Amino acid sequence: MRSSKVRAALVFIAIGLVLFLVSNRVDELRVYQGAEVAVYVVAISAIVLLTGYSGQISLGHGALMAVGAYAAVLSRNYWHLPIPLTFVAAVLAAALFGAILGVAAGRLTGPYLAGTTLALAVGLPSLANEFGFLGGEQGLTYDVGLPPAWLGADFTQYKWFFWIAALSALLIVWLTYNILGSRYGRSWRASRSNPTSAALAGIHVGRSKVLAFTISSGLAGLAGALLAMTISLVTPSAFPLSLSFAIVTGAVLAGVTLLTGSIVGAIVLVAIPELTGSLAAHLGGSEKVTANLPGLMTSVLLILSVLFFPNGPKLNWRKVKKSSR
Amino acid sequence: MFVQRRTKRGILASATLAVTALAITAIPAQAFNVHTVDGVNSNTIKLGITIPLTGSAAPGYNKIPSAMTAYFNYVNDNGGVYGRKISLVVKDDAYLPTLAVAKTNELILKDKVFAVVGALGTANHLAVAKSVNLGRRGIPDLFLNTGFSGFADAKKYPTTFSLFPSYVMEAKIMGQYLKENFAGKKLGLIYQADDFGTDALAGFKQAGTTFDVKVSYASGSQSAQTAAGWVSKLKAAGAEVVVMFGVTTASGAALATSAALGYKAQWILGSVGGDATTLKAVGVPAVVLTGAIGASFLPAPTDLTDEYVKFFQGINTKYNGGAVFDNNVLVAMNTAMMTVQALRAAGANPTRAGLVAALESKGSSFASASFSPINYAKGNHVGYNSYWFGAYNSAGELKPVGGSYSLYTTDSGAGAVVKSASKRPALPLNGLPTN
Repeated sequence: MRSSKVRAALVFIAIGLVLFLVSNRVDELRVYQGAEVAVYVVAISAIVLLTGYSGQISLGHGALMAVGAYAAVLSRNYWHLPIPLTFVAAVLAAALFGAILGVAAGRLTGPYLAGTTLALAVGLPSLANEFGFLGGEQGLTYDVGLPPAWLGADFTQYKWFFWIAALSALLIVWLTYNILGSRYGRSWRASRSNPTSAALAGIHVGRSKVLAFTISSGLAGLAGALLAMTISLVTPSAFPLSLSFAIVTGAVLAGVTLLTGSIVGAIVLVAIPELTGSLAAHLGGSEKVTANLPGLMTSVLLILSVLFFPNGPKLNWRKVKKSSR
Repeated sequence: MFVQRRTKRGILASATLAVTALAITAIPAQAFNVHTVDGVNSNTIKLGITIPLTGSAAPGYNKIPSAMTAYFNYVNDNGGVYGRKISLVVKDDAYLPTLAVAKTNELILKDKVFAVVGALGTANHLAVAKSVNLGRRGIPDLFLNTGFSGFADAKKYPTTFSLFPSYVMEAKIMGQYLKENFAGKKLGLIYQADDFGTDALAGFKQAGTTFDVKVSYASGSQSAQTAAGWVSKLKAAGAEVVVMFGVTTASGAALATSAALGYKAQWILGSVGGDATTLKAVGVPAVVLTGAIGASFLPAPTDLTDEYVKFFQGINTKYNGGAVFDNNVLVAMNTAMMTVQALRAAGANPTRAGLVAALESKGSSFASASFSPINYAKGNHVGYNSYWFGAYNSAGELKPVGGSYSLYTTDSGAGAVVKSASKRPALPLNGLPTN
């Protein structure tokens, strides 16, 4: 057990090293997209933890990301917290919000839970338009500052974003990996698979669901703050309904019960607009086509993966391997 | 057995990672670094623009890119700029700051444009300035389609050039006009709840204008329903003269709804929301617009006696498929003509720094359709500073009040508003700059 944890830690450090080297070698667009991938990894990990392990559905994680982002920017603007602490503020605020939501969510299942969280995704971000201190559609500037001078003059702003986002993503995946392997992860899986026998085994099913919702919300909050960092801005339009759907899609694509799936899903989400962009360019489509094609492709992918790989292609592949053995 | 498989896989993963890492370090860091300027090669100069083509603010503004391209194509057909053809990459930002940032990133990182030209929207471009930071990257950011006074700060935005007079100037000039023509009347104001509106409030304050009622709206919220709310507030306060300081879709909603609700006032439309064609397109009956007053820094797009308007209308017919020639098309073609002069001023081997320097040193002598002088200089990146007032006739044409264009000039600070007469440079031969 101990040695496998050490090995896992080594693998994470190795991945970090590779990312660090890669970020120095590729052009700035890829670095920026790398930061986007890292943000999605954190957001999708939140969904994997919640849906894949605890068995609760959320279509409102975009709203929780907004909570985190606004917490980060407000704590920066009003209390002048140092940047790393604003990320902590984002996690705490979103987790608190998620805990309250989780109490309600614990009483809901299936489509009712989906509906409730969906309403949240639709309504919550536009609240910012109602209160002046939230900055309206113009939003609030969230400036994490220039990269430190000792990194050199060639060190770009986007590389700095990438470093922060990638480090956060690595830490979060590592943390989630450990939580899921712990007593809590096992009790979530038990409650998901069979609530009655889980309760008989002494697991407090309701409490365990609320805990999962709280942790998942905290992760979403961090993802929100990171997203705001990459655009230096917190505004309702950064957290549209499509964001909530995109992260659920990202989780489902690669298998919602697999943490490694979060990385695959994140890469797919960032790659889709890139692919559709060049596709539309080849077809000679207008900018209007380019703007709407990614949404269409994401939706089609979601439908296809639910139809053919309800547990994700990777898990299906494992099953195939198992049955052939 | 199980444990062994895990170990094997772990070793395999580590080995793969190690090999990848090695392979990557082997690639030289600047493998493809050839010394050229992004966006310029021997045949073309690539420029980019972000603008709303879809969404609530799109009507009217969505005509700008094709009108700019039309003028560029005309110049391209006549030899281009020092032999290079100009191409314009257009990105839709739906008037959302988030998208504006993403699309500007695409323009500079993926399309690798030489300069950004005519980016639209105060909030959008503030987000871009902060996040993408064109100034720090040294990428020219020319002729913004916004009059936000904040962009005048040449230290903060060293590569950004505004063309329009600032909204502060516009509000100050409007305040002066209100004082001269509507003293003693009850005044109302509708403005956008962001920096666009903040600028307006600052200008009116400077001019000493006090409104009996002020109504703000969130960008993107404008609709017949919300406009009913504005009108009821104006009505309750008994406003007789209403200044509409918002985007065209907002002024359209305000005018159409007040007509529907039977509220009559003397409307004064700001330059941003005063394009007659777009107002008609969004459902404002001609009779409602008739008699409204508008402020502008360009000649009326319907004034065929104006040499610039006449020339641009010709380009519009030949190169723009005969689109309805309105203020948006005029602004766009004027911006395109300014761009061509800026590129010419940067010389036969243009660099980004050279383009910025050329605008500072030579920009004030460029030919442009506006009656306002161009005030570019080292440290001053705001082009125009003057407005004239007109009244819309029953055909939706803005006709100068008093029969001839009479200019009011001011600055964004505490300077007075004065009437001025400035001599506009003549249209270059065949509309092709030779500067």
